Amino acid sequence: MDTLLSGQLLFAALVSGSLYALVALGLNLVYGTLRLLNIAHGDLVMIGAYTAFGAFSLFHLPPVISVFLAAAVCAGLGWAVYEGLFRRLLANPTLAKRVEANSLILFYGISVILQNVVAMTFTASSRGYQYLDTVITWGGVSMTGNRLLTLIVASAVCFGTLLFLRHTLFGWSLRAVIERREAAQVVGVNLNRVQLITICAGFAAAGVAGTLVSMTEQITPFMGFPFTIVAFVVIIVGGLGNIGAGVLAGFCLGLVETYGIALTSPGYRSILIYGLFVAVLLIRPEGVFSKAVRS
Amino acid sequence: MALLDVKNVTKQFGGLKALSDVSMTVEAGEIFGLMGANGAGKTTLFSVIAGHVPPTAGEVHFDGRRITGASPSRICRAGLCRTFQIVRPFGGLTVAENVRVAALYGAGGRQDRAAVARAVDDALEAVGLADRREILASGLTLSGQKRLEIARALATGARLVMLDEVMAGLNPTEIAAMLETLADLRNRRGLTFVIVEHVIGALMTLSDRILVLDHGERIAFGTPDEIGRDAKVAEVYFG
Amino acid sequence: MKGLILGLVCVAGAAAVPMLGNPYYTGVIFQLAMWIALAQSWSMLSATTGYLSLGHAVFYGIGAYVCVLLTGSVPFAVTLIAGALAAGIFAAAIGLPVLRVRGPYFVILTYGLSELVRHVVMRIESALGSFGRMIFIVPPIEVLMWCMLGLATLACLGAWAIRHSTFGAGLSAIREDEVAAETVGVPVTRLKLLAFVASAIIPGAVGGLALLRTSYFEPGQAFDPVISFTIVTMALVGGTETVRGPILGAVALTLLSELLWSNLPQLYMVVLGSTLIGFILFVPRGVSGLVDQIAGRR
Repeated sequence: MDTLLSGQLLFAALVSGSLYALVALGLNLVYGTLRLLNIAHGDLVMIGAYTAFGAFSLFHLPPVISVFLAAAVCAGLGWAVYEGLFRRLLANPTLAKRVEANSLILFYGISVILQNVVAMTFTASSRGYQYLDTVITWGGVSMTGNRLLTLIVASAVCFGTLLFLRHTLFGWSLRAVIERREAAQVVGVNLNRVQLITICAGFAAAGVAGTLVSMTEQITPFMGFPFTIVAFVVIIVGGLGNIGAGVLAGFCLGLVETYGIALTSPGYRSILIYGLFVAVLLIRPEGVFSKAVRS
Repeated sequence: MALLDVKNVTKQFGGLKALSDVSMTVEAGEIFGLMGANGAGKTTLFSVIAGHVPPTAGEVHFDGRRITGASPSRICRAGLCRTFQIVRPFGGLTVAENVRVAALYGAGGRQDRAAVARAVDDALEAVGLADRREILASGLTLSGQKRLEIARALATGARLVMLDEVMAGLNPTEIAAMLETLADLRNRRGLTFVIVEHVIGALMTLSDRILVLDHGERIAFGTPDEIGRDAKVAEVYFG
Repeated sequence: MKGLILGLVCVAGAAAVPMLGNPYYTGVIFQLAMWIALAQSWSMLSATTGYLSLGHAVFYGIGAYVCVLLTGSVPFAVTLIAGALAAGIFAAAIGLPVLRVRGPYFVILTYGLSELVRHVVMRIESALGSFGRMIFIVPPIEVLMWCMLGLATLACLGAWAIRHSTFGAGLSAIREDEVAAETVGVPVTRLKLLAFVASAIIPGAVGGLALLRTSYFEPGQAFDPVISFTIVTMALVGGTETVRGPILGAVALTLLSELLWSNLPQLYMVVLGSTLIGFILFVPRGVSGLVDQIAGRR
């Protein structure tokens, strides 16, 4: 019981919660504007992680710098995916008819390619490096510097994005696209541009999250999928396309997961996450669906 | 005994009453018209009768059997079939395949190949699509797709067919042709129709009796002549 | 009819391969037949109704698991039947809620379910203190190959029968418009469930046979999501509009895998992913559609 009430556990929950919120934020942005579920989103986290790992081990660049590199790499991937694949997919009427299911399979293809290209480059074995891993004790809670940094950066990006959406012209047009796609176009929002920028930003968010993960965890080319699943749980619970609620749901999931594991054992982590995922989809298929249809 | 008996049906969506305490009876062999402005509850009534949405209160009986709460497919197999105002063709199938599905699964429950082929031919013939049978349904014009909706309903072998605005979006020539088709189906095959129509002239010509809905409530009922003279109806329609 | 005769000739030819005396070729035929059986089973649900399953590994894995649990206590044919039944029962049990979920959500749900079961089985196995189970007495490879060939034939005949039946007509109506299908009398829920169960049964038996071939069970491998992915890729590459589509796709990609898998598995996966993307974008009707185009039909 003591461990459950400790600040230690709460800190751990907040760290993973902030990461989940950040990963889900990216997925939610892409879903909100494109109306397509990106099953390869977790693999972008992986790409971000390997970018940071590569930069650290080859050029001794610390993550605080390589995080920008990771964001840029993922944004570039976003650009390539949008320009190279989706404009084509949406332009073809036979494909566009079942574009949602088709795009999911398409994204899965991208996911497989990313995983195995990285596996060919860096081998499939797990990698890691040490950065800011000294323990700080603060208010009775011991933490490593890199975890604290993760919490700070992930939260800052999430809340920064929310502020940006609320207080800038681009943020307004983006929200307009999420809520009323056709109407937004009528009032002069350049849909193409908003979609392109958003997919780049969403991918970049995953890259940032990947950099943060690489500081504290061992990374492998196949680490991405659990992040995708977590992000799906978060945005379905928070409401697809609802950015603010998604961030909140991310933190909640971090709490549920951390305390859930503390009450059972780490071996149940995957079961808990996948169980939640399946349950959410089964219990709220109409909820998920009607929201998507209405907007 | 009436073929279709709707008893005190109420349908509530959240705080909104789409239908309140609506009753009607449809006799075998008649053409029964439903009138009302947009949002009067006509399509909701169709959906309740055909089993797409359960009523909040009230009952629906078809051919003496209670069908409230049954699935649309079961209601169709019992002999009651509807069409959709916004057409829903099986776009990737040919016109004949569209109708064949209805013939295979509808009220007839035909398993004999020859009988199915005959039902398909008959239905296509009746709506004038026989020469388009091999093209994909998505390639039909709107008028063609509306006809396809009717052909599918006919092929199910339903005795009562509910048509939801089959004339909306058609030009006068097409409307005239459709009127002829429907009158012919009733006279020669003894089918019963419930029709919702915005084209009031068509509804007046075709219907034996008309029920007028306004804001989910029944405000008038009678022959086309009586409805034409009804003060309440005039008020709703012409202000 | 021509297709049927050609198919039977191929089956007879394949069945005679062990007479060449080279176990490698027998193994290749085993793989070919396995993927044909899986892709064809998948098509019974996904090609007909448009509900794309990205979780068929779960049926394969369940078949393998049941088979490994029963091996030794009952004859091997019984273990296969039990595997098939278990997969079918599992599909029937989860079918109703799962099939209410549509479009892309169905795709990720099937994937998630398959992963959930994989982790549950891994957990059970590690709780039992088992890190993989060995099977010591297995039937000779020829027998396994003949069984697999039988399953592939069964799957092809089944897929053909479904497409040409009333059942199949109802399923394609569901694919085009579920509400309209229901309205003209198609019992949508029941048909979808039947298709789901039908597409699960043969993969269950295939999983059992594949297990006997490797004589080793490890849940991570038996429920490997790569299996699901490969099935979908094969079917989409081959083309989902015809019965021969999944066969063509399975043959093409199995041969590719024989070429690349053992030496360059990661390159093989990259090629697989690229092939899938290429076919979705540029050849949506698959190899089978290409063949038709070249032959000048449609």
